[in-house]
Amino acid sequence: MKASRVLQIVPLKFRPTDDGALLFADDAGGYFKADQDFLERYVDDSLTQSDHRFLDVNGHAFDGVGDLAYSGFEYRFASRLYSPAELDYVILVPTLRCNLSCGYCQVSRVNETTPGFDWNGETLQAVLRFLGGLSTKRIKIEFQGGEPLLRLDVIRHVQAFCRSKFDHCEFVICTNLQEVSPEAWAVLEEPHVFTSTSLDADRATHQAQRTKNAQKTSSFFDNFDAAVNRLGPNKISALPTINPTNPPPATAVIDTFVGYGIRSIYLRPVNHQGFARKRFDARSSASSWNRYHSSFIDALIDFNWDADAPLEEYYFTHCLRRVLRSGHNHHADLRNPNIIGYSYVVIDHDGKFYPTDEARMVSRVGQFDLSMGDVFSGIDRDKIDMLNSEALNNFHPDCVHCPYQAFCGVDLVDDLSRYGRIDLPKHLTDFCQRHTYIFDKIFSLIYSEDPKVGKSLAIWSGAPRFDSSFAKVHR
Amino acid sequence: MIDLRLKVDPLPIVEPLVVRLLDQPVDNRTEHDAIILDIDGDRREYEYHGFSFTVYARPHESLDGDVLLVLPGQASAHRLIRANSNHNTFLVTEQCDQLCVMCSQPPKKYHFDLFDQLAIAASLAPRDAVIGISGGEPLLHKERLFQMLFAVSASRPDLRFHILTNAQHFEPQDAERLVALGSDRILWGVPLYSANPKTHDRIVGKEGAFASLERGLATLMRAGASVELRTVVLQQNWEDLIGVAEFIATRLGFISVWAIMQLERIGYGRMNWASSFKDTSADFEQAARAIDIVTARGLKAWLYNFPLCSVPQDYRGYAPSTISDWKRKYLDFCDGCGARETCGGFFQWYDHKEGFNGLGPI
Ligand code: SF4
Ligand code: SF4
Repeated sequence: MKASRVLQIVPLKFRPTDDGALLFADDAGGYFKADQDFLERYVDDSLTQSDHRFLDVNGHAFDGVGDLAYSGFEYRFASRLYSPAELDYVILVPTLRCNLSCGYCQVSRVNETTPGFDWNGETLQAVLRFLGGLSTKRIKIEFQGGEPLLRLDVIRHVQAFCRSKFDHCEFVICTNLQEVSPEAWAVLEEPHVFTSTSLDADRATHQAQRTKNAQKTSSFFDNFDAAVNRLGPNKISALPTINPTNPPPATAVIDTFVGYGIRSIYLRPVNHQGFARKRFDARSSASSWNRYHSSFIDALIDFNWDADAPLEEYYFTHCLRRVLRSGHNHHADLRNPNIIGYSYVVIDHDGKFYPTDEARMVSRVGQFDLSMGDVFSGIDRDKIDMLNSEALNNFHPDCVHCPYQAFCGVDLVDDLSRYGRIDLPKHLTDFCQRHTYIFDKIFSLIYSEDPKVGKSLAIWSGAPRFDSSFAKVHR
Repeated sequence: MIDLRLKVDPLPIVEPLVVRLLDQPVDNRTEHDAIILDIDGDRREYEYHGFSFTVYARPHESLDGDVLLVLPGQASAHRLIRANSNHNTFLVTEQCDQLCVMCSQPPKKYHFDLFDQLAIAASLAPRDAVIGISGGEPLLHKERLFQMLFAVSASRPDLRFHILTNAQHFEPQDAERLVALGSDRILWGVPLYSANPKTHDRIVGKEGAFASLERGLATLMRAGASVELRTVVLQQNWEDLIGVAEFIATRLGFISVWAIMQLERIGYGRMNWASSFKDTSADFEQAARAIDIVTARGLKAWLYNFPLCSVPQDYRGYAPSTISDWKRKYLDFCDGCGARETCGGFFQWYDHKEGFNGLGPI
């Protein structure tokens, strides 16, 4: 029977799923599964009354422009668009010098004794002038390097300045925790100071990838133990860098983090830069990463089933919430449009501004100059704004056909750094391959009937239980 | 129980009078202030523009900063603002265009316009107070209401309002003044009982109410207004709760909070208790799923007026203490309960014989 009520249906995109069905989604992130017959009715414009009823209730239809269903759809669509807030987050690189020499970090460091890669007095003064000119009342400062603890003096200056200027300050110190002086401990222990470090899965992996010898490995783990004890697991985060061609077993990573009482694990693939990157073909590295990540998520689901204190993989949780919610735009790695250079900036060791840390790397290996002025003469966004004008997936010829578009984002700096261009067909990019995988994975879990999966999804989505209505199938 | 009316010696007035009672002179003195002269037992004598004004109250009860409305010829005054309470509500009209099965304030035919007096009373409220506005349906007198809101917002930018409305009377052109009032100044409490128009209309006793409500909510959304969506759980809509949750997820992503509320046994709520009260201590499943759905969607759900022990453990965090101090009571078995501090207890007019079956100290 054909429908009698004149409903308007919003555009739907679809993608086949493993179980032979089709996943449909709209521009505001509403989704459901249906079969080939429904697709044909949709294409032929011969939807039935029951199709209409379903599409109406599930938020894919409206009677007229401006009615509540239409406005609700608009609201969900609009809140998925990121618009940069005022600048309140500054990443500082006071030195490129480092007391470690990790395999994949050749471009972002120099040896501990190399002169000429530090802020001098003038740079510090210019940075403070810049911070002094910000209009925000709350500031987040992240110290990166190199090893920023080699410039504790700078950290303290910046802290003192910020505390006198802003109502609320948060400091993150990204350190390798290799050598921590008593003065440095005192800083890390202060309120509103957070420590971020790298912990590559387990002792063996950490040593192979970072510390190289047993003695340095021990000093890291001693300091890490001390940090967890002195600061507490809520003031410290540890990122495991994973080499997808030779990854540690998921259970080894899980055991390590559980042992330290850290419940959120943010897996990062090794980020090769420059020549090292060229050796890894983008396609194969994404697929080995995706395979590993998927098995890691499965291991977490197993772990959480009978764990007292559950775990999450930070980025997976973020993407899951982006599927379920509008307005979940706080993570800089996944935004649409991905406007950079506004709500946060990086200030390098030579005082140059960059829109992101990745842009700093790209510039450092000489691929492109993505700097945007310096602290001496001010921010100059001309180049970056050209990039920003393309940093939107809504009109991208590949993304417009993708049901994951509303959840996904863009990362043009990543495209530039890998391929030297931003106009590759999306499915050839590492970004698209990783995100296609992650949303495929999310939907396979959402539609899973395994109670173990349901338990983890509940935890990761923030609800007491994961409701079966999130797995709608229209027949 | 706290008195919302106080006995007074009638004043020789022809117009309603708003008076603020003060124990001592304050910096921001107004022409509406009465200063205490003498306390004798439950009798308090105030000086008001050279006249004596007598109020009766329990000896230890503070009236300092309270605002009273005295009507000509009446021997009792309305205590419009209790300075030390967060639960001050102005009942601006008793008229209503709906007739809800659970109405706690059944509508009356006639309306006495006291908006001018209420505007004065609001201007005398303590700093940063939140003033409730309810009815009846306040927006039946939309122009007068907006006048009052604009007047008070201009003189007292620190005040906030919580306005209960059935949202039947917003027009698209109201969006402009809603924006002008500011979205953080007013929280609109708007009831929605079912995503099924027929069920909603039946519960509120008005045909077409759901359709008007949809239009009103669309206007509030466009104006960027703050909305607390309110759903009283009833036998009549228990099976529709998940539908409401999904309606919120698809259409009402802008709301600040969804309040899932237990029934108040007063007014029509008392009359229809047997056919309407849903014992959620025996069966909580639909409410649980509704909370699961909107929470995963990143929206806030709260359970209002649920005694904590009626709620399964995983959902107790959603049940803040919400029953106003002057309406609240506890039962015998609450004495030994470890949750009493955080539990909102029961309405004074709750009758346990007809109430929840599965309660007990936790
Ligand atoms: S980048 Fe790929 S996964 Fe993301 S929206 Fe575009 S086509 Fe889809
Ligand atoms: S026993 Fe009384 S105080 Fe305790 S949770 Fe139940 S109603 Fe609340």
